[in-house]
Amino acid sequence: MVELSSGLLALSSAIALASSAFAAAWAEKNIGVAAIGAMAEKEELFGKGLILTVIPETIVIFGLVVSILILTLKY
Amino acid sequence: MLAPYRMSRVIIAGPNNVQETAVKELHDMKILHIVEHSKSKLADIGKPLESASKLSEILVKIRALISTLNIKQEEATFKLKKSLLEIESTTKKLSDEVTKNLEGLKSIEEQLAKKDAVKQELEILKDVNVPLEYFISYKSLAYFIGYIKSKYILTLREELSKITNEFMLFDSATQKGIFIVLFVDVKKKEQIIQFLQKAGFLPLNFIHISDFKGTALSNLSKIEEEISKLHNKIESVKKNLEKLSNEYESFLLAADKFLRIELEKAEAPLMFASTPSSFLIKGWIPTDDLSKSIERLKTATKNKILVHFEPAKKHDKVPIKLKNPKLINSFEVLMNLYTMPLYKELDPTFFLFLTFPILFGFMLGDFGYGLVTLIIALVLKKMIPKARHFFNIFILASLSTMIFGLIFGEFFGFEELFGREIPHLLSRSHELMPLLYIAIGIGVVHLNIGFTLGFINEFKSHGLVHAIYAKGSWFILQIGLVLLLYLYINSLINLLNLVIGIILLFIIIILMLYKGEGVRGPIEIPSLFSNTLSYARLMAIGVSSVQLAMVINHQSEQFFHGSPVMILFGVIILLIGHIINIGLGLLGSFLHSLRLHYVEFFSKFFHGGASKYVPFGIKKQN
Repeated sequence: MVELSSGLLALSSAIALASSAFAAAWAEKNIGVAAIGAMAEKEELFGKGLILTVIPETIVIFGLVVSILILTLKY
Repeated sequence: MLAPYRMSRVIIAGPNNVQETAVKELHDMKILHIVEHSKSKLADIGKPLESASKLSEILVKIRALISTLNIKQEEATFKLKKSLLEIESTTKKLSDEVTKNLEGLKSIEEQLAKKDAVKQELEILKDVNVPLEYFISYKSLAYFIGYIKSKYILTLREELSKITNEFMLFDSATQKGIFIVLFVDVKKKEQIIQFLQKAGFLPLNFIHISDFKGTALSNLSKIEEEISKLHNKIESVKKNLEKLSNEYESFLLAADKFLRIELEKAEAPLMFASTPSSFLIKGWIPTDDLSKSIERLKTATKNKILVHFEPAKKHDKVPIKLKNPKLINSFEVLMNLYTMPLYKELDPTFFLFLTFPILFGFMLGDFGYGLVTLIIALVLKKMIPKARHFFNIFILASLSTMIFGLIFGEFFGFEELFGREIPHLLSRSHELMPLLYIAIGIGVVHLNIGFTLGFINEFKSHGLVHAIYAKGSWFILQIGLVLLLYLYINSLINLLNLVIGIILLFIIIILMLYKGEGVRGPIEIPSLFSNTLSYARLMAIGVSSVQLAMVINHQSEQFFHGSPVMILFGVIILLIGHIINIGLGLLGSFLHSLRLHYVEFFSKFFHGGASKYVPFGIKKQN
């Protein structure tokens, strides 16, 4: 039987990744909407809009790193 | 490479009578980036040439014709050898003809609508053998036309014979119920109405056929004949319009292009400064073409103009024309997406060329996928030569993907083929932690290239001391941290010393950055860590791509042991899955590689914000 602790580790790793992914998605949604709005007015803003939109991606990367670190913990 | 074309500021002045010649010559040369003059006390902006209003009038007409004749907007292929006067008269003639046709079409359609209404009413009455002229108002006779529910038809007859024996009833079954036409004595009208209401009578009104004679059937065939005639007429008008469209398509497109250019020339003086008798044009010309173009301009205007030129000064807003050798210049597309570098700055296009494909390949990193995208890029490049620069980027990125595919030993997500493991240096699906370290290592190298470029930029514009404060401090921070950690890990210093060392290091760095970049500098210290960690996406996107590919392979594998239908099913899963995964991989790898450059890399050295060099005569792309 799998130990309880390993299950908890997997679960917490999943929570770390999922919550940060939600956070990133929510942030990106808001920025993306604004960026599209700005682009409708001025098309040259595509580059800037793209960058601003992907900035919160870092959140989910952090989440991923944390979740990998949790998985590699000794138990 | 690394720096844009050298530019010279040019001021052209001359009397008004050579303005048109000068504009024409400048437009043909396509070399001068005009800086628009804004109205000032010294000089107003110029007035458009006299022809401008006429040109725009004809242009509007031509564009209207192009849209009504359903001509596809595309660049004209041949040049128009006609004068403006001829274009105008042809356009007018064509416009009149098209209007006439369209009006004819409209009136025919109106007639057709009327006839259709008549036809509908006649069709209802076609089984009733009563001449239509009977349906008028009588003094002694009342009539009802309409539908009743089918179950009441028998009771209707009974009821009628009870009320009166002077009636005439036609009935026929239809989908809506029983259609009846009933003539009765006007005195019994009220009684009949009462009964009909019970029977759910739905009266019909015939407004379109009130002045028709003869039976409905005979009228119907007449009307149908008329309708088909009208349809034929519409066809012939449409054919006429189509013929006109085919005949004049090339003329209209060519005229559109010709007029657009002429209008551009005619309206150019709006960008000039002008006095009642003279004009003055300010702008930029690449220094290499300077003497040649001035010569040409002077010859065209018979030496009546004065040209002053000087190299760009420190605070000039110079329009940027990027200068890069072939292949590298394809990456200028990515600079256009972002912003142009300032005149004195390093042009980062070369570094995009160097590192963009590497980051892209590291993320996608599958030999099979690389092969597919390479083929797609090569084919699309042939098909859409306009976007060749973009596809050049993709070709390089695909090649890099294939190389990384060999390093990772991946072929469409398979790590072994025919039972044998593909040789690899690193397995992305198994060795996660090494992959993470390598990704962050790439980040450290990439960021330090950025800091080095930033150092060079600062050194060139503000001198060595400033460069050390603003950018050198980042190197000191990194080296200091590494040394302290090295000493601590090897137990050469204890924890207290480590903490004191780190605090001292940060105080020094904060002071240096504050001196170099003001308040903004120290605030950016945490971003060094988040930026470095951001390169973990190189691993993350790569691993997710591999895992997805493996899932697809695994899912389809189960079907390959079954019947032929199952095998077909497996192949379909394999195909669709990998197509989706390649699409996702392309999009993800492209965007994230781009983002790592724009956000993490560029922020270390790049300011940007210059305007693009768009010479007069070249169509502006919005």
